[in-house]
Amino acid sequence: MANTCCLATCENLSVLNFHFPYALLSVSQRDNRSLSKSIRAVDYLEIGAPWSRPRLENRTRRTNRHVRAPGLANQSHSAGCGWVLITQRSALEQFRAAPERENTSQTEPPHKTNKKKRPRGKFRSHSPRFPRAQIFSPRSPSPSITRRRGDPRMASSGAEEADPGEREREEHGDLHHQRRLASSLTARYSDWVLEALDELPGSFLLTDPALAGHPIVYASRGLTALTGYARREVLGSGARVFQGAATDRAAVAGVREAVRAQRAHQVAILNYRRDGSPHWVLLHLAPVFHARDGSVLHFLAVQVPIDDAGRGAGAPCRGAQGAVLAACREEARVDDDFPCASYSGKVFVDMDKRGLEAEKPRVASDSEKEKAISTANSIVAALNRYSKLTGLVVSGKRCDSVGIPALSSSLNLSLGRIKQSFVLTHSCLPDMPIIYASDAFLSLTGYSREEILGCNCRVLNGPGTSLEVIEEACTVDLLSYRKDGSSFPDLLHVSPIRDASGKVAFHIWVHLDVGAKHDFNGLTPEVWQLGAVGAVRVAVRGLSASGSLLRPSQ
Amino acid sequence: MVSATKVEGEYSFLSKNSHLDQSEGVKTHLYHFGAEHGNDDLKSTACPEQGPSLLDTILLSQWDNFAWKGHLDYDVTACQLKVIEGGINFVGQLNNKWNSFSLKEYDKLFESFRCSKPNSMKSYEGLLLCVAQGENDRPEVAPSASPPKDGLLLIANAYPVEYGHIFLVPAAVNQLSCYWDKRMFGLATKIASEVNNAAFRVFFDSRTHVVSDHMFFQACYFPNPLPVESASTVVLYEYGGNARSDIIVSETVGYPLKAIVFTSNNLKALVNVVSEICFSLHDNTTAYSLLISNNGTKVFLFPQVKNLVTGCSLSTWECGGYFIYHTKFEFDNASETEISKRMASVSLQDSAFEDLKHLCCAIAHDLVK
Repeated sequence: MANTCCLATCENLSVLNFHFPYALLSVSQRDNRSLSKSIRAVDYLEIGAPWSRPRLENRTRRTNRHVRAPGLANQSHSAGCGWVLITQRSALEQFRAAPERENTSQTEPPHKTNKKKRPRGKFRSHSPRFPRAQIFSPRSPSPSITRRRGDPRMASSGAEEADPGEREREEHGDLHHQRRLASSLTARYSDWVLEALDELPGSFLLTDPALAGHPIVYASRGLTALTGYARREVLGSGARVFQGAATDRAAVAGVREAVRAQRAHQVAILNYRRDGSPHWVLLHLAPVFHARDGSVLHFLAVQVPIDDAGRGAGAPCRGAQGAVLAACREEARVDDDFPCASYSGKVFVDMDKRGLEAEKPRVASDSEKEKAISTANSIVAALNRYSKLTGLVVSGKRCDSVGIPALSSSLNLSLGRIKQSFVLTHSCLPDMPIIYASDAFLSLTGYSREEILGCNCRVLNGPGTSLEVIEEACTVDLLSYRKDGSSFPDLLHVSPIRDASGKVAFHIWVHLDVGAKHDFNGLTPEVWQLGAVGAVRVAVRGLSASGSLLRPSQ
Repeated sequence: MVSATKVEGEYSFLSKNSHLDQSEGVKTHLYHFGAEHGNDDLKSTACPEQGPSLLDTILLSQWDNFAWKGHLDYDVTACQLKVIEGGINFVGQLNNKWNSFSLKEYDKLFESFRCSKPNSMKSYEGLLLCVAQGENDRPEVAPSASPPKDGLLLIANAYPVEYGHIFLVPAAVNQLSCYWDKRMFGLATKIASEVNNAAFRVFFDSRTHVVSDHMFFQACYFPNPLPVESASTVVLYEYGGNARSDIIVSETVGYPLKAIVFTSNNLKALVNVVSEICFSLHDNTTAYSLLISNNGTKVFLFPQVKNLVTGCSLSTWECGGYFIYHTKFEFDNASETEISKRMASVSLQDSAFEDLKHLCCAIAHDLVK
């Protein structure tokens, strides 16, 4: 039985967001051949001819050829162009195991109850490198497919029986609820991720801000040891279960604010175990970003217990704390009335009245802080390991583009001041991708920042451009093309830029539209251009080879 | 466009100067300070939205052009930098082509430039820019003009210590001035303020930066803060009465070389106070270095003793904490203790330094009132 659920990405096919349990991809013939080579183990694969459409609503009539997995490589795809339907095992299992039922009111976004709707919605691949693959994300797989009990195919094991209609079953009760929450993870990463997370030590949670109520979608084994709650019990509730009467409101508000701002946060907070006994933990909150588009996929909350030694050290004065408590209580009360689920993240609601006598907050020691951070890092690493299989890359930091190192913030700041139209390309990465484009460049050429980052500079070339091999610093007159196809006479200056190690780190390409009228305060255009080069040189000269500010060498 | 006019009588170098006029004359970009900034206020902080200033852009551009044409002896940006471990974070550069003797070449160069000997064509290439006071409100640039008499010439240094290393040389010399020209110092500070780039620093060294009794400055772009700028300071004297002529005199704490820091937003106050102090130092035959940083609002004074035993002295950037090593061995083994020892050996004695501090405060107090 194939347990793995992974979708390989091949050259010209990429699944960016596997939020839905299946994706419909349209591939061209050429792509299809390479597709077969790269997909090794897929739960379910269906390939159809281009003129046909996946008839999701009626799986009984198999008009299309479908292929089983694993062992896809030896299947022939003489269908050539067409569509490929790929599903994930976990999604299949969800439906297979659920008892037969009608449409229920409990729905989750990918499984709407409307049977009439056809899969619709085209999502163009984000990356400009893959223009061909189009991802159809069906809005509503029809739930009218009912599982036929006793269907011999159902009984047999393996991916074969997975009639895609099965997925569309609604689940009910705890099982459904749990699986829905688990799918928040497994829809994005592979099935193995749950087991990998189970192996990590420490007590931590993963919450999904996209679901209503910002529920906990995963709780680690260590959580039970620390808090006394069984993992099953906390799934689906908000993180408020851990708070209690004496929990510091200010800390809670700080966490809420960090969630709203989508940034990491660390605070010592008083939590309550299942039996009601309070204990101090260092709560380390970190967002997990989608590496490509920077959206937040999950929040990670690590709890490290603070021992008694930290008691009382560095506590703020009681008076200030009291005032803060009072102020925060107002805020908490407001939240009681309007429990906003969509964006407020963790909502800590205190049902009890509480007095002003709160315990003095403890201060976590450095070792505890480090432990929290290292646990968080290992969790993100585990998520990454299992997400790469689905083609999704996550990171603890928001990145500009996948595969391209983000520039340090100080460099971004200095470069942002420079008003000329230029780009920086990375000299060491293959094909010298653009890693920075100034605002003036974007307005000159019409590209947006997301589009241009990662491309090579030849994106500006067009039919009229005389191609010259640009090897060292030089100034050339070119005809360059904007995004909309219009050309402009371009005075281009290219020069290598070195960093503090003395090696070439980037190349700068400064463009100037000779045809447009410019006023440079008395400077000639060439002088204006070179001014950008000099300014970038000074900015980059102070950076070490890794791109950060120069630090004492170890 | 300003043309140089002949001034009869006072200046003995005249005949050579007129020779300059009769030949094609040196033409270069001429940058005029705007009159609105011609007063005493120094811009204290750079506005991030405005972008690099006009002077900054043209200076960098001219320097890059000079470098690109290959007139530089070596590419200074290819020299490796490192931060030396220790609390003070001294910066070391591995550069086997720079040496301090190269400065002596420029002494001759300036002489010949002023005398406009025909074989000094190289200096014309290195002449990047001329800066002078302008009449209009906003600064402006004339692409090709003869340097006015009261202007300051910016000449590229073919042996740079860092990117953008230039000399600031007066276009014409007032023979009457002694070694210290207050007006020149004011101009140099003004330039630092106009460039408005935190990386731009101006130096003066009393021993080497005086050529046949005429002073000149050096400047360059250090991308990271110099260690002395990050050192903590203790205020010695602070005048807060009149907001416009505020000057703060402080001394560095924890830095191996004793230094006095003058901070002010008022150009005139700064120039007056520092000039007075430099006069006194000269009378005392104390060697010193000046570092103008933070867009012209901070002046570091590094008094040094002439170490007759070892004969070693520190150049201004070394006083600031930026060291150049010629060999890989020295570069790899650079250590903060060794540097601190060197600095301490040229530093003033405690008693002498106390006297100097008192003197500074007294002068500041007298002049600022």
